[in-house]
Amino acid sequence: MKSPVFLSCVAAMLLLSEGVRADEWGTIKGRFVFKGDAPAAVELKADKDVEVCGREKLFAEELVVGADKGIRNVVIFVRDKGVKVNPEVEKATKAKPVEIDNKGCRFEPHVVFVQTGQQLVIKNSDTVGHNSNVTPLKNSPTNSLIPAGGSSPVTFSSEEPLPAGVSCNIHPWMKAWVVVRGNPYAAVTKPDGSFEIQGVPVGDIELQLWHEKAGNLADVSTAQGKADKKGRLKVKVAAAGTDLGEIPVEAAAFKK
Amino acid sequence: MTTMKIIPACRLLIAGLCVAAAVGCGKTPPAYFRPNMVEATKQRLTADQEKQVATILLAMFGTPDDPVCLPETGLDEAKLRLAAGPVRSDIVGRKNGLYREHCAHCHGVTGDALGPTAAFLNPYPRDYRPGVFKFKSTERADKPTHADLVRLLHNGVPGTSMPSFALLPAVQVEALVEYVKYLSMRGETELALMRAFFELDDDAQGKLPETREFLVDETLSPVAEKWRAAADAQIQVPPMPADIDMVASIAKGRELFYGDKANCVKCHGVTGLGDGQANDYDDWNKAIVEIGKELASGTTKAREASTAGMSPEELSEHRAQLAWLDKFGKVLDGDALEPRTIPPRNLRHGIYRGGRRPIDLYYRIHAGINGAPMPAAKGTVPPEDIWHIVNYIRSLPYGLDGELGADKPMLARDRF
Repeated sequence: MKSPVFLSCVAAMLLLSEGVRADEWGTIKGRFVFKGDAPAAVELKADKDVEVCGREKLFAEELVVGADKGIRNVVIFVRDKGVKVNPEVEKATKAKPVEIDNKGCRFEPHVVFVQTGQQLVIKNSDTVGHNSNVTPLKNSPTNSLIPAGGSSPVTFSSEEPLPAGVSCNIHPWMKAWVVVRGNPYAAVTKPDGSFEIQGVPVGDIELQLWHEKAGNLADVSTAQGKADKKGRLKVKVAAAGTDLGEIPVEAAAFKK
Repeated sequence: MTTMKIIPACRLLIAGLCVAAAVGCGKTPPAYFRPNMVEATKQRLTADQEKQVATILLAMFGTPDDPVCLPETGLDEAKLRLAAGPVRSDIVGRKNGLYREHCAHCHGVTGDALGPTAAFLNPYPRDYRPGVFKFKSTERADKPTHADLVRLLHNGVPGTSMPSFALLPAVQVEALVEYVKYLSMRGETELALMRAFFELDDDAQGKLPETREFLVDETLSPVAEKWRAAADAQIQVPPMPADIDMVASIAKGRELFYGDKANCVKCHGVTGLGDGQANDYDDWNKAIVEIGKELASGTTKAREASTAGMSPEELSEHRAQLAWLDKFGKVLDGDALEPRTIPPRNLRHGIYRGGRRPIDLYYRIHAGINGAPMPAAKGTVPPEDIWHIVNYIRSLPYGLDGELGADKPMLARDRF
């Protein structure tokens, strides 16, 4: 019953799946934890547009540590320039635009990851006007007015070596960060401090670890070794997955 | 045998001349470009790395007396030579050294805005090195066109210390514009080189690749290309309707000024006096403010650290950190001026830095002001509405409208 058509179909499927074979890709995961007493959240005082911005309490978000000591908003990305990219992961991450919302006079989320060529939409759900001043190092800076209910699209053509800042000149306490990379391999830690980067090619790879307050996370120890002075960590990615475990960061690292 | 004798004699003579040149006969030493020490220190470059950047820049751009421009810059070397060097006359009696005659005392020989008079001016002179210019006819992040810079030199910048150079012959203005572009490209290339160290892989051993690909294709060309692209990046402005009802337009402009969409009121204030958001900095000053903060907290942290339980490795790191903090403090003292906030423009004065033509105001509103907090209205406010705002703003100095109407006269001393 094995018709030549069937056989060639099987052959074609084998060929197609060659590029995305499951055992060639692995997942990197881990969890950043704060070592020491978790700092108390610092409340900010809104002195502009108080009727809207003062409605809900605002807190400084440069260092957010959860009750479980997890450090939120740590940025992890693959440094290697010519890294092999898993087409499925690329497609999934690039599927829709990334959004930052101006909501309650803060940016939500605080840190986003966008790929080169992918659209970043900065929208405004507030009833007051904002502006979003994006200051990258390699890409052109932009600063658009974003009226109540409006939005402004931004795309980046080059990779950024470090996250780019986003601020609002009308409400100076507002701050967000954009990680711009040329591949889908970046993550921002969740409220519990955990992260996961999927579909990374198996083998040796170098990660960059960064946090808004601490800068490059120098010298942190993981299950896969210690990061260097520039916050770079060499990791071996296994098809079965690579767990960096609990990554403790000393309180002193954030005293910048 | 004779050549053997001549060579040492020559060497002696050259050495003698060098000594004479260095000691001089009452002559000042040749001018040099100051390295961007703020960036070098921020990036924690080693002495060797600083030296490598200086060597590369010397090869790519030459010296203030002897500028070099690679064909990729698109610059006209003949124009540069007219502007470069000490003030002098050439063999046909033509004035040379124009930049040092007219610009260097404020903008500095390097274009770093650290000339001897810079500290006394408010606002400070422009630092060309980041390649950011405010008053132009192109989109926010784009470079100014050649004509923009010529116009700026012709008109000066009203409300600042930048005078008009309208009395200079056109050929001299051309030379100066070319030289400003040259200094800006050099400064931007220097910044790119200094920042590139961070991105190096370990096997580069802290040294930038001295290849044509890296230095020219990846570093210089993108900078030069932005200057070249400016000519085609002019904002297309639909003309203001000739039959516009000015009274209605001003009323519409007022509505937009106070409205949530254009939101001008947030910074320029309900009075239009520029008394809204007043504690912001421009990009040049903000960079120094941020470094100052990092330095202050870094010093506190270093002082708090106890050296008692440190391993030899940690101790040497601690010392390196203290040395870096100490160096940074000194660099800021010498290479940065005290940061100042940027007040939003007082629109009741009728003084517009980037020019007073309606189209100049249109450009400012459409594109925002690069390097300053002023955002772009482009995409949010349609062109006809921008024209209404322009008309309203142009009416403000005459007290025709707003909180300070003609019926509420204002004392001159309160206008500041």
